[in-house]
Amino acid sequence: MKSLIPFAQTLVIVFGAPLLSGVVSKMKARLQGRQGASVWRPYADLGKLFRKEDLVPPLAAPIFWVAPRIVFAATAAAILLIPVFQPAAVLGGAGDFVLLVGLLALSRFFLVLGAMDGGGAFGGMGGSREALVSALAEAPFLLGITAVAILARSTQLAGIVAWTLRQNFFDISAVHILAFSALAMVAIAETGRVPVDNPTTHLELTMIHEAMVLEHSGPSLAFLEWANAMKFGLIMSLLIGLFFPWGMAAELSLPAIAFAVGVYLTKMAALALVLAVVESSVAKMRMYAVPDFLGIASATGALAVMFTAFGGR
Amino acid sequence: MIVFLGVVPAAWLAARSRRLNWLPGMILSVALLLGTFASSSLLWSVTPLQLDLSARTPFPFALEVDRLSAFFLLLICGVALAVVLYARSYLPRHYSPVETQWIWALGSLFLFSMVLVVVASTAFAFLMGWELMTLLSAALILVDGTSRERLHNLFIYLLMMHAGAAAVAASFLAFLPASGDLYFSALRASGALLTPGARSAIFLLAFVGFGTKAGIIPLHLWLPKAHPIAPTPVSALMSGLMLKTAVYGFVRFSFDFLGGAPAWAGYLVLIAGAVSGVLGVLYAIGEHDLKRLLAYHSVENIGIIYMGLGASLILLANQSPAWAGVALVAALFHTLNHALFKSLLFLGAGAIADATRTLDIEELGGLLKRLPATGVAFLIGCASIVGLPLCNGFVSELLTFQSFLAGSAVTALPAQVILPLMAGVLALIGGLAAACFAKVYGVAFLGRARTAAAESAHEVPPMMLTGMGLLAVSCIGFGIFPRLALDPLFAVAQTLVPGTSLPTEIAGLQRILVSTTVAVLGIALLTMVARVRRRVTLPWACGLPGLTTRMQYTSTSFSKPIRAVFAAVYKPDRKLEVLPANRPYFPSSISYRSVRTTSFERSLYRPMTNVVITLATRMHRLQTGNIQVYLLYIFLTLVVLLAVVGLRK
Repeated sequence: MKSLIPFAQTLVIVFGAPLLSGVVSKMKARLQGRQGASVWRPYADLGKLFRKEDLVPPLAAPIFWVAPRIVFAATAAAILLIPVFQPAAVLGGAGDFVLLVGLLALSRFFLVLGAMDGGGAFGGMGGSREALVSALAEAPFLLGITAVAILARSTQLAGIVAWTLRQNFFDISAVHILAFSALAMVAIAETGRVPVDNPTTHLELTMIHEAMVLEHSGPSLAFLEWANAMKFGLIMSLLIGLFFPWGMAAELSLPAIAFAVGVYLTKMAALALVLAVVESSVAKMRMYAVPDFLGIASATGALAVMFTAFGGR
Repeated sequence: MIVFLGVVPAAWLAARSRRLNWLPGMILSVALLLGTFASSSLLWSVTPLQLDLSARTPFPFALEVDRLSAFFLLLICGVALAVVLYARSYLPRHYSPVETQWIWALGSLFLFSMVLVVVASTAFAFLMGWELMTLLSAALILVDGTSRERLHNLFIYLLMMHAGAAAVAASFLAFLPASGDLYFSALRASGALLTPGARSAIFLLAFVGFGTKAGIIPLHLWLPKAHPIAPTPVSALMSGLMLKTAVYGFVRFSFDFLGGAPAWAGYLVLIAGAVSGVLGVLYAIGEHDLKRLLAYHSVENIGIIYMGLGASLILLANQSPAWAGVALVAALFHTLNHALFKSLLFLGAGAIADATRTLDIEELGGLLKRLPATGVAFLIGCASIVGLPLCNGFVSELLTFQSFLAGSAVTALPAQVILPLMAGVLALIGGLAAACFAKVYGVAFLGRARTAAAESAHEVPPMMLTGMGLLAVSCIGFGIFPRLALDPLFAVAQTLVPGTSLPTEIAGLQRILVSTTVAVLGIALLTMVARVRRRVTLPWACGLPGLTTRMQYTSTSFSKPIRAVFAAVYKPDRKLEVLPANRPYFPSSISYRSVRTTSFERSLYRPMTNVVITLATRMHRLQTGNIQVYLLYIFLTLVVLLAVVGLRK
């Protein structure tokens, strides 16, 4: 029973991720005065895509259809490292946050390769832009986690979460505020939300992620879309776990777990609302403004790390 | 060991006979295989293996294989074995029999010189190997052609190598007042007796001398010039192994002889490594000649190794020997990894050249379908160099990260701030390297063939694939089972940093990596078992009649956003000509040219060469060609020398 909870955490993110995307879309629609599609719409989309056939360009190598599956597998494996309801995960150990960043990089690497294998112009375009955004996002991502890892004196995600859980919410430090700002900016860039990328766009001049998946169809596209939703859920859960873990089950009893699940869902909904407000009120940035945005994220992350040396809180 | 050292010259003798073409490669492979076994057994031995030939040589000449030497010996033998296997089928396909013989002869001596460098235990033996290594690699480059441009590049190579060798020799000589002789044991014993000033001088000389060979920025100028013009197996040896002898030398000096360095020296190494890492990868992104791109990545990876060494020196100076050991192991592990994946990538580049006769990735495309085995091996190489999980590069970068984080626990404030910040730099390097290799692999191996040559490419022979396969398997092996390398490496580190042991959290790494591998592969297999209907159809071409290969993103267009963001680093010279000039909106022709010289060449080396040339011109006046004047010079020199000697008495 106890060992099943970490697996349940993983399954919640894997199978709940499309719902999260649906909820954010619904919230955005409502904020913009539209009715919006049902929150269950992403599941229907995935189901439809899984029933279709894969269309493959005549000269594409096997990478074209292998890549979406590796993207999916690497993202799913990364979820195994995330503590959700309790400060523990299926996999974990010292330095596992580097592994988390590494697995996301692995999935992104194959995403770009799959895009380039299509042989069209859009894949390369999306891949090139994604390469820029992710190359610049990696440093603030690691710096942000490094800062909280130093405070917690643990390089294991579960250890960091457990430490934060023991702290008083009102005793929160400058390091946490800076690290959270850095990671929030990275989260926007990594998950391809406005203002860095627009998940609903189909305009060549602006799209990043959509350009990469343009040549894919059927189950391959389904895996890519699902992986993208999972990554979104993963990064949101990571933010919650690192900065707002209160409510997590410190000991393993049924009421504690049930409470943790409820609190997690509430926090997730609140974060989704914040995101929907940001996405509805901010215009997408020009492509070449994104490096500045990530530069600010890096500087914030670097400051967070520096502040750990000066007392920290 | 003696067997191994004897066999290498035998290979050379074999290369002289014309009929037995297969023999040198065979002998060399067997010798290297023996060397691999012998050095892996020496890796664990407590007492070093010694051989003193001083009685028979005019200068002190002795060899000694301790754990550090054994590790580098194993590295050289193992990687060279794969390269030699590859070369046995590569060389006859690309070179005339005479040239092949020359490459075998010089190549085996080149290997011999590298072995000599890592087993030498007197300064004379070391410098002899060091010098031979430079000259033999230069000779190997000459086998490939003697055009003016090549000679120019070679000249820069030799010039910088000799400047570096002079610094190394000087750092040996600086020990003399305290040590009395130049046996390594004497140097080691005198390390603690030196004055701080002498220690600093020795450290700086060794840093510059070995840094030149290793190619840290700004001493890297020769590297992207010399590596790409060598025959492919030699490029692999130069980048995979020769650079590592510089790491060996630096570790030997700073950790073994000097027993650590003051903290400022650690910061110097750390910052030099960080600068090399970031600039190396940025320069690589701008390249589309595969070998030159890989050469710049060597600069980047040497940077990562130096970052680890710098962290180790800082932690050692701050009384944190356990983590100093981890940082040292991280650097040595990355040395091993870089030797494996960089040789693999250079051999892959050779296979591409073999199949398509070009190394310009702009002219490739769609190679994975035509060279499936090479393509998979090259993909593993790319994933390793980028530091993706399940490959070896990831593990050493993770260890480096952890040792940076350990910096937050020491008492000195600079270390607390700077070391963890370096985690961000390392992440930036990793992100940019990922962009670069996504570009390389995407443009060369994926998509559609851009030229007829790429379209008619064919898979390379099995022997070449065996060489690449060996390296690819070791990349994956060390990536999933890092204990294979970590246990011996901690044994090596124990001899250099007392008090080092494998921390439990790092010992647990293997378990996590194995389970991650199982998870990733398991899920990926699950997603692949379902039968999917697949239909082959042309991709969407925006309603136009059809896609042409020119519509694909090229290497230049792929890297454009990154080059635009880091334009300050590249400083390109752009020239746009619109003809006729009076009708800018309706031109009849537009020509655009963009030339990039690395800013170091322009802003650092040009002024230096200008000063040297100016001085030389001034000095030229001394040379009148008149014998009486020369006699006067000799006489004056004699008088001055006598005066000096007289005054000292």
